[in-house]
Amino acid sequence: MSSETPSDNASTPEKAGRTAINEDWAAVIVGLALLALVLIGVIPEGVIP
Amino acid sequence: MAAEPTSPAEAEGSEATTATASPVEDAAPDALDAPDASTAPESADPTTDSTDSTPPEEDAPRSHWALIGLGVLIVLVLGAITRFLEQSVPEWAADTSFGDFAAAVEYPVYAIILGLLGGLVISLTGIRDKVSDGFRTEFFIKTGLVLLGASINLSVIARAAAPAIAQALIVVPLVFFFTWWLAGRLGVDDKLRALLSSAVSICGVSAAIAAAGAVRARKEQLAYTASLVILIALPSIFLLPWLAGLLDLSAPVAGAWIGGNIDTTAAVAAAGAIVGEEALQIAAVVKSTQNVLMGLVAVALTAYFTFKVDRTPGAKRPGLGAVWTRFPKFVLGFILASVVATWYLNSAGDAGKDTIAVVNDLRTWFLILAFVSIGLEFRLTRLREAGWRPIAVFTGAAVFNLIVALIVASILFRGFVV
Repeated sequence: MSSETPSDNASTPEKAGRTAINEDWAAVIVGLALLALVLIGVIPEGVIP
Repeated sequence: MAAEPTSPAEAEGSEATTATASPVEDAAPDALDAPDASTAPESADPTTDSTDSTPPEEDAPRSHWALIGLGVLIVLVLGAITRFLEQSVPEWAADTSFGDFAAAVEYPVYAIILGLLGGLVISLTGIRDKVSDGFRTEFFIKTGLVLLGASINLSVIARAAAPAIAQALIVVPLVFFFTWWLAGRLGVDDKLRALLSSAVSICGVSAAIAAAGAVRARKEQLAYTASLVILIALPSIFLLPWLAGLLDLSAPVAGAWIGGNIDTTAAVAAAGAIVGEEALQIAAVVKSTQNVLMGLVAVALTAYFTFKVDRTPGAKRPGLGAVWTRFPKFVLGFILASVVATWYLNSAGDAGKDTIAVVNDLRTWFLILAFVSIGLEFRLTRLREAGWRPIAVFTGAAVFNLIVALIVASILFRGFVV
């Protein structure tokens, strides 16, 4: 659940590390991408319930 | 710094002296192979760094993608129900004696309750372990925090910035080091000390996640800390507004007290809303200021654990690369989102606020999903198996935080007008 804590299903420490790091960066990418999509109007007001 | 030598009785708690000697590399397989706390033997204490907790392979089966998808679907469905209840219940109860109460109940309450109920159902049906990989608490809450950055605008906090920053700079270190000291006195494991101290002093689960990334805590330690945060935060949502009324605090002081005391940002918003709009505004500013400190604490913890705690005799001194490896990257997204949103609002003016409101809706969705996931993952057995020491630390620190934040808020926000 932390940026360096592997997921349960990772079979090796190396794989677990990659998964955790990818998920950490994924949160940054998804968060900033959503922010950008809102700011440029792709996600307009009223779409999000 | 290091945990005190433990007696067998102490071992029942959360303390393992091996934590200070465990090489960094040990943390990953330890966390990786951590067993289900509800079925783990005593030696697999979730708050220790014992490396003897590796379960048989069949106890940690790989989830199929379909099962992961089912887990995500469960979170999404419960999240949608949470959003529906959050918006509908106040309308349903508007003309009843529960109207004010229903209006004050925020989404974290629905999300956690639904998550707990969902967890009970999937446990009874025996599919919890199969679908639990779909409960992406880490991803949901980090994404929510990145989006939270967009709601922290310098122009909004300008008027209350000075007292809020002063309060954060006074309260956060005091509470952090008091918790660190208390946990050390009770022999709690160093990594759990870091998680508990960060959670109590800064912003609950979010700070615990940042600290866990910084010190490479085990997943069970983070889940345990998150469970404690939720257990304390839920009653605080109602207790602090009641105490604020009892103490006849002004709205700004009550808001500053709530913002500097309750651990989770969502719970701060909920408690602030119960007191009133002015209290909510100040609570949000104070809490946002503390959130900013999260990154600084994460960096400090990263450096401390990299260079002090995890160094083994004769081991190569970790380089700056290790500091970067442990740095929680979502903090960068959090800061960048704040910068972008501040620039956008300064450029777009008032019209931009409606746009940022959409970002806030998205943030709420991700936080709902995170709270649902936390509820789904919550297991009381974790608290029981962790022993009484971490609970005593968290409770003692929460009371200390309550008193210190009240004193500081009363001084700094005396006479403040929203």
